[in-house]
Amino acid sequence: MTTASEVLSSIQSAFPGAVIDSRVESDLRLWATIDSKKILDVCKHLSSKHSFDHYSGSAGVDWIARNEMEVVEIMASHGTHKVVAMLKVKTPRENPSVKSLTGLYWNASWYEREIWEMLGINFEGHPELYPLLLSDGLIGAWPWRKDFKGYPDLTTGERAVEITTPDGYTEYRFPPTPAEVEAGTVVVERPKYPTFQEREEMAITSDSEMIMHLGPQHAMVPGPFLLDVLVEGERVKKAFLDLGYIHKGIEKIMENRSWLQGITYTDRMCYVAALSNNECYCGAIENILGLEVPQRAQYIRVIVEELSRIQSHLIGTGEFLTLIAGVGFAPWQYMIMDREKIISLIESVTGARLTHSFVRFGGVRNDLPEGFAEQCKKVLPYMKSRTEEFIELFAQDPIYHARMENIGSISPETGKRMGCSGPVLRATGVAYDMRKEDPILVYPDLDFKVITGTRGDSADRIDVRLREILESIHIIEQCLDRIPSGPIKPEAKVPKKLPAGEAYYRVEDPRGEMGMYVISDGGANPYRVKVRGPFYATFQTLTPLLEGTYIADAVAIAGSMDGCPSESDR
Amino acid sequence: MDGIIEIITKFAAQEPAIFALIIGLIGAAVISGVVNVGAMLVIWGERKVLSDFCNRFGPNRVGGRWGILQLGADAIKLFTKEDIIPGDADKGVYVWAPIVASMATMLVAAAIPFGALHIGGRNIPLVVANMDISAFYVEAALSLMAIAVFMAGYSSNNKYSILGAFRGIARMIAYEVPMGVCVISVAVMAHSLNLVEIVESQTVWYAFAQPLGFAIFVIALITDLGRIPFDQSEAEEEIISGYNTEYSGIRWGLLYFQEYNNALLGSILLVLLFLGGWHGPIIPIPILDIISPLIWLFMKVVIVLWFFIWVRSSLFRLRIDQVTDFGWKWMLPLSLLNLGWAVLIGSYFA
Repeated sequence: MTTASEVLSSIQSAFPGAVIDSRVESDLRLWATIDSKKILDVCKHLSSKHSFDHYSGSAGVDWIARNEMEVVEIMASHGTHKVVAMLKVKTPRENPSVKSLTGLYWNASWYEREIWEMLGINFEGHPELYPLLLSDGLIGAWPWRKDFKGYPDLTTGERAVEITTPDGYTEYRFPPTPAEVEAGTVVVERPKYPTFQEREEMAITSDSEMIMHLGPQHAMVPGPFLLDVLVEGERVKKAFLDLGYIHKGIEKIMENRSWLQGITYTDRMCYVAALSNNECYCGAIENILGLEVPQRAQYIRVIVEELSRIQSHLIGTGEFLTLIAGVGFAPWQYMIMDREKIISLIESVTGARLTHSFVRFGGVRNDLPEGFAEQCKKVLPYMKSRTEEFIELFAQDPIYHARMENIGSISPETGKRMGCSGPVLRATGVAYDMRKEDPILVYPDLDFKVITGTRGDSADRIDVRLREILESIHIIEQCLDRIPSGPIKPEAKVPKKLPAGEAYYRVEDPRGEMGMYVISDGGANPYRVKVRGPFYATFQTLTPLLEGTYIADAVAIAGSMDGCPSESDR
Repeated sequence: MDGIIEIITKFAAQEPAIFALIIGLIGAAVISGVVNVGAMLVIWGERKVLSDFCNRFGPNRVGGRWGILQLGADAIKLFTKEDIIPGDADKGVYVWAPIVASMATMLVAAAIPFGALHIGGRNIPLVVANMDISAFYVEAALSLMAIAVFMAGYSSNNKYSILGAFRGIARMIAYEVPMGVCVISVAVMAHSLNLVEIVESQTVWYAFAQPLGFAIFVIALITDLGRIPFDQSEAEEEIISGYNTEYSGIRWGLLYFQEYNNALLGSILLVLLFLGGWHGPIIPIPILDIISPLIWLFMKVVIVLWFFIWVRSSLFRLRIDQVTDFGWKWMLPLSLLNLGWAVLIGSYFA
């Protein structure tokens, strides 16, 4: 099995002098600072020689004290080995620019666009460096830089002024100088790029084509995002995706909150999977602190997270069914009813239905309530029989097969290349599950299968989700049998200020790979929190999948991704 | 009493045209009342039954726990809403579309027998216009709704609406043909195109005499009514609300109402053609024996409507290309097969 130190020595021998600085955290985590000129070659080397074929994402960090910026490329492998490599590239703060990895990894596009619009780091060779989450007017403000004064200015209370640029755009200047306000004619340096609407209009080639909006307010979308399809009759010729409608800037907000307060923000990223978001954040901080979680707390975490997975899959599947069957479709309501039972179980432990904030650094907030195991033993067998019934129901429905089979098919290779994860990737037949890849909590001790599909189409995605519910039930049953008694929190008090350090922690969210990259500079707040959301990654694959389908299929494909724009926008 | 009848017969003899007009107007008033009240009950029934299927309550506030006055409240709301016509709409067509839709359903209602009264050992049908080709006429008039749908979709000047209108027309063309062939098959067996005679000729229900034709007619009827799994022209998860996206207030209400009018009339047509119409054992109780055909018809229609709602709550929506494929490649050949069967059996028993 490849280990992190082997990967490091391989890089060092292939590219002498390319590794400026390195740290082997464990067998599975490699941190290395790479010479910015060599980064592309190093990545090529890793992907070809060490099968680092999973580009997990990238994070931009503004080190204002060192007057430099850093882009952290996070890479892993689809099952060949379990090493996660964090390759850092440094660039000066004035005109920051690094090489784009889009040529090597298709899905690097969105991550780099986000870093560009938030931090102003230019990516050389990126084919479409357009804003992703921010609106056009905010480009140029670089709001995630550490010297960004906010809107309104946090220090002076000044609000940004609205300025009309010479080319007719409305801009907001942060912060404006008095002279600029006086004059009102500031020449704003605005990056040149076509707007979303212009890009759409450029794609129209004939009079018989039109752009149709599916969103931001539409019965199809699970939350506000704009999916525009260029249609000719019923055929979708091209799709355009615009997100950021509910961009909350959670990553930036967390920099201004204490470590503990950050937990409540992770809840709000995806409210149907709040527990795995909690887990991800807390796990990263435990890594920085070197905290050992007591056994009982680990079991409790696994139980609630698997319960959360069940309810998330139920609502994901149920909502999707309404997209291809209408709201009068009865099984949808049955799923919601069954989900209610699971939610009640979670509520009895955490005290909340959706936003739990239950996981704590090194433990959990409270112990399981009295009689929880008995309650579970009543609900879980029922849930199991119901899920089997649902699987049977869809397997037998000819209309369901006609609508769902071979719709939005992803091949295993495409799935890997596009950076999908979770049920979407597993439906293609790739058994890639963070619970197996990263040995966190008590998952290595538990017996469970990684559910995979065969065709990677919409029907498979639903099928994988439903069968995962059965696996989750199996996991919870094992946990209930094995859970030891003991403490649920670490003995020592968790300090208010964390030691300086950084960690990347991955969990299997109901939607796929959820990763958080947390940096502590020794202060009472996180220096930087980067969230690698699973739906953000899956979302990116949507536009190429839709090309050439029918409008009705577009809905079936987009729905089967189990979308959560709240998480992808953060 | 005799005097009044005498005056009326005398008047009818002197002024046949005016008499026919007056009778027609009375009939029109009666059927529009019956059909519209019936459709309201259908809407209420659908909401309640669908809620039962989905384990919900449905309307349960206005008018007691059964929510029976909910529709009245909804109607008042629709009537008092602001009337919005989109600025870029084709105003004339836009305004007329709901009216054409209502007209289409009233044309159907005119020729459909709503039952019969059992008086003196024979059934007296309750029909306004008892024409010789009423089965054919009703079938033709039912498809007029598609024109209203297209008018609404085209005139709205909206992308979703026009797609809904296209889908509606494509679907109608694909399914009107097999539906018409099924009606012809029934007429061949009954040796008549008159609905009353078709009902009276059913010693064996045509659903049993030609099961294939019955199945095709049910599917085609669901398609014609635009209900799931054939509601592509309105598919709200794809094209918002399809052809009536831009409509609001009472104009939308009229379009919506006509769908349920059609559902009611279509169910009655199905019962008349295939399920023995008002046939059924006469209830041997005074007064009830007179209306017992009506009761049988009512019960059969309720079962048919319940079946439609059941279908809605349990089936997925087909894609429009699958719908037209199925219509042309399966429904039409099978309906022609059924026609051959009807000719064979019909001539054998004649």
